[in-house]
Amino acid sequence: MSFEGLPKGTGAKKASFRDAIYFWEILRGLGVTIKHLVYNIFHTAEMPTMQYPEEKRVYSDRFRGRHRLMQREDGTPRCVACQMCSTVCPADCIAIQGAEHPDSEIEKFPETFEIDLLRCVFCGLCEEACPCDAIRLDTGIYEIAADSREKFIVQKDFLLNNKEDGTY
Amino acid sequence: MAKLTIDGKELEVPDGTRLFDACTEARGKPLPHFCYHPDLSVAGVCRLCQVEIEGMPKLAIACNTIVNDGMVVHTNNERVRKASEQILEMHLINHPVDCPICDQAGECGLQNQYMEYGLYDSKVEMVQKTHKKKAKVIGPQVILDQERCVLCSRCVRFCNEVTGTGELGIYNRGDRAEIDTAPGVDLDNNYSLNTVDICPVGALTSRDFRFQKRVWMLKAAESICPGCSTGCNVRIDYEGSRIYRLKPRFNPDVNRRWMCDKGRMLYKAVHDEKRLTEPMKRSGGELQTLGWQEASETAVGMLKPGRVDLVLGSPHLSLEEAVLLRRLGLKLAGEDQLVGGVAGAEVRPGDDLLLNSDRTPNRAGLRMAGWQELPVAELVAKLREARGTVLVHGGNPAADESVREALAGCQHVLYIGTHRNETAGTAALALPGAAWAEKAGIFVNKDGRLQAFKSSIVRPGQAREDWRVLSELLAAAGEEEAPGSLRALRKSVGADLFPDVEFNLVALPARGVNPTAPVAGGEG
Ligand code: SF4
Ligand code: SF4
Ligand code: SF4
Ligand code: SF4
Ligand code: FES
Repeated sequence: MSFEGLPKGTGAKKASFRDAIYFWEILRGLGVTIKHLVYNIFHTAEMPTMQYPEEKRVYSDRFRGRHRLMQREDGTPRCVACQMCSTVCPADCIAIQGAEHPDSEIEKFPETFEIDLLRCVFCGLCEEACPCDAIRLDTGIYEIAADSREKFIVQKDFLLNNKEDGTY
Repeated sequence: MAKLTIDGKELEVPDGTRLFDACTEARGKPLPHFCYHPDLSVAGVCRLCQVEIEGMPKLAIACNTIVNDGMVVHTNNERVRKASEQILEMHLINHPVDCPICDQAGECGLQNQYMEYGLYDSKVEMVQKTHKKKAKVIGPQVILDQERCVLCSRCVRFCNEVTGTGELGIYNRGDRAEIDTAPGVDLDNNYSLNTVDICPVGALTSRDFRFQKRVWMLKAAESICPGCSTGCNVRIDYEGSRIYRLKPRFNPDVNRRWMCDKGRMLYKAVHDEKRLTEPMKRSGGELQTLGWQEASETAVGMLKPGRVDLVLGSPHLSLEEAVLLRRLGLKLAGEDQLVGGVAGAEVRPGDDLLLNSDRTPNRAGLRMAGWQELPVAELVAKLREARGTVLVHGGNPAADESVREALAGCQHVLYIGTHRNETAGTAALALPGAAWAEKAGIFVNKDGRLQAFKSSIVRPGQAREDWRVLSELLAAAGEEEAPGSLRALRKSVGADLFPDVEFNLVALPARGVNPTAPVAGGEG
């Protein structure tokens, strides 16, 4: 970029009448807008704007979206309530209460499992810390909206059956 | 004294010292170990504490070696490190490594020692491991996981040597060896949870604490068990406003490293749903909550000098509270209207290990503060005569049926306490005090040892520290020097009770102090 030809900020030169009323500059600006408008009308495919929500951006497979809890074959959580995730979580937004599982082979399971999505920073550390591959951020869901703060604190049953459409 | 060299460091230790302890002193940390425990006999079964002693062809276990003058010992050379790593690997051969569901994780001897001396890659596949019983309930308090056990035999020795009950044993041989109780026998003694403390791995865990919390999330506060007049030194493990468990704290003069199971469960009373959390006033036969402002005004009205007929203390009060209540009592009523409590109440069979038959923590402190107890009949007679205010602080004197009836007959009972118990049921006004875990104070145990306890969790609802309530009432009664802080209170208590003893109530030593025998005995 070159600064040549631009008026100097501290210039001694007094603006001419033509510069002082800005009229020609406004027209010139409008010209640029109209040029793009006309160009875009005839070249819609090249437009950078996305027609969200009809059109959605494709993220990489590694994108960290809203968490889900993995299920065992019988639909119960794979999680054993070891609380590695809540220990590592930098936002301190996971709250788990362990309890005795009726099946003595499994022993421990999460009686409650809450994630406060408003506090989560989607760092993915919970997923990485989990020794059982029980929590993943691979849903690709980034549309997280609700009409009250409480609804952002999601519970075990919700996380086990994470819906794709992002509704709560 | 024996002079020896450990890792190039010369030190002198008393004759008869175990090499293990000498190494701890020289290294500043213990050798790797599972089976050695300072309060139990030496078993020498885990073989982790091996060291090289110059002049000996083989490595020797430090726990079963007595120091000798001129010994030259290496604890950290190639040979010793290799030995500890290999022994550790042997211990882990059949270990399930189920740390994610193991309550011991975070305070586990295997985890700690693997991180320090192991860090090898496992050569054993899960399917090759010997499997044993998991999650086997072996008593009212303890649950056993045989797979996690490293067969150190500490629990067996504890039951044989400390409690003398001998419930546990090692059965079978080789890799099928396992800890168990004999058929039909339960690990059911009042000290069973100590086996959980000394088990270096997660083989024995507490049923009460099971899956409640991961241990690294807990905070700790030093405290004294309020369960009996032995005054075991304990640690309160808590998080937020909840206590999760009590653990014994080492005090060679009181409880060594043990405490009883009854004491461990006392934290539950703190979270009882019948806690008194708001000031309550009787109106129309029912107790109704009210704010502190109004409650204080009512209390001050009830305690106008001349209106008070009886002040009833309790051996559950801390030493500071007992002194302060007595000052208040003397301000409001005469000496013979102050009663320390019901003589002989809360006496139940104890045992010869720790549990004392007097189930109150501070009877000696109450007496130290100048209070006299009365037998039930005399107290009841006094209560029957009382027309004015009866101030009851702490404990639950109305647990005794005849005291309850006599108190119910009094019109103006002012109770400062922690629970909505029988005594609160007779009160015209009940003020919520703090439970022992929610305040700091001093208990005096049966031997006259003063021991300080610190506060841990926050008080529920509107409950207040008792000394603040008393201090406020004292100020309202016209006392100019009502203490404004616990520190000031302790200073004045110290000046009152022990004018010529050289110790400081504000900062009592960690093991407590016995003014009648100030020289603390026992080893470090
Ligand atoms: S993604 Fe990060 S911030 Fe969110 S719950 Fe997991 S660990 Fe916590
Ligand atoms: S780390 Fe995994 S198994 Fe452990 S509590 Fe979290 S989700 Fe459950
Ligand atoms: S005892 Fe428990 S915490 Fe320790 S290594 Fe074994 S499974 Fe892990
Ligand atoms: S149960 Fe624990 S204390 Fe008992 S032998 Fe096994 S590891 Fe040692
Ligand atoms: S500690 Fe010495 S052999 Fe176990």
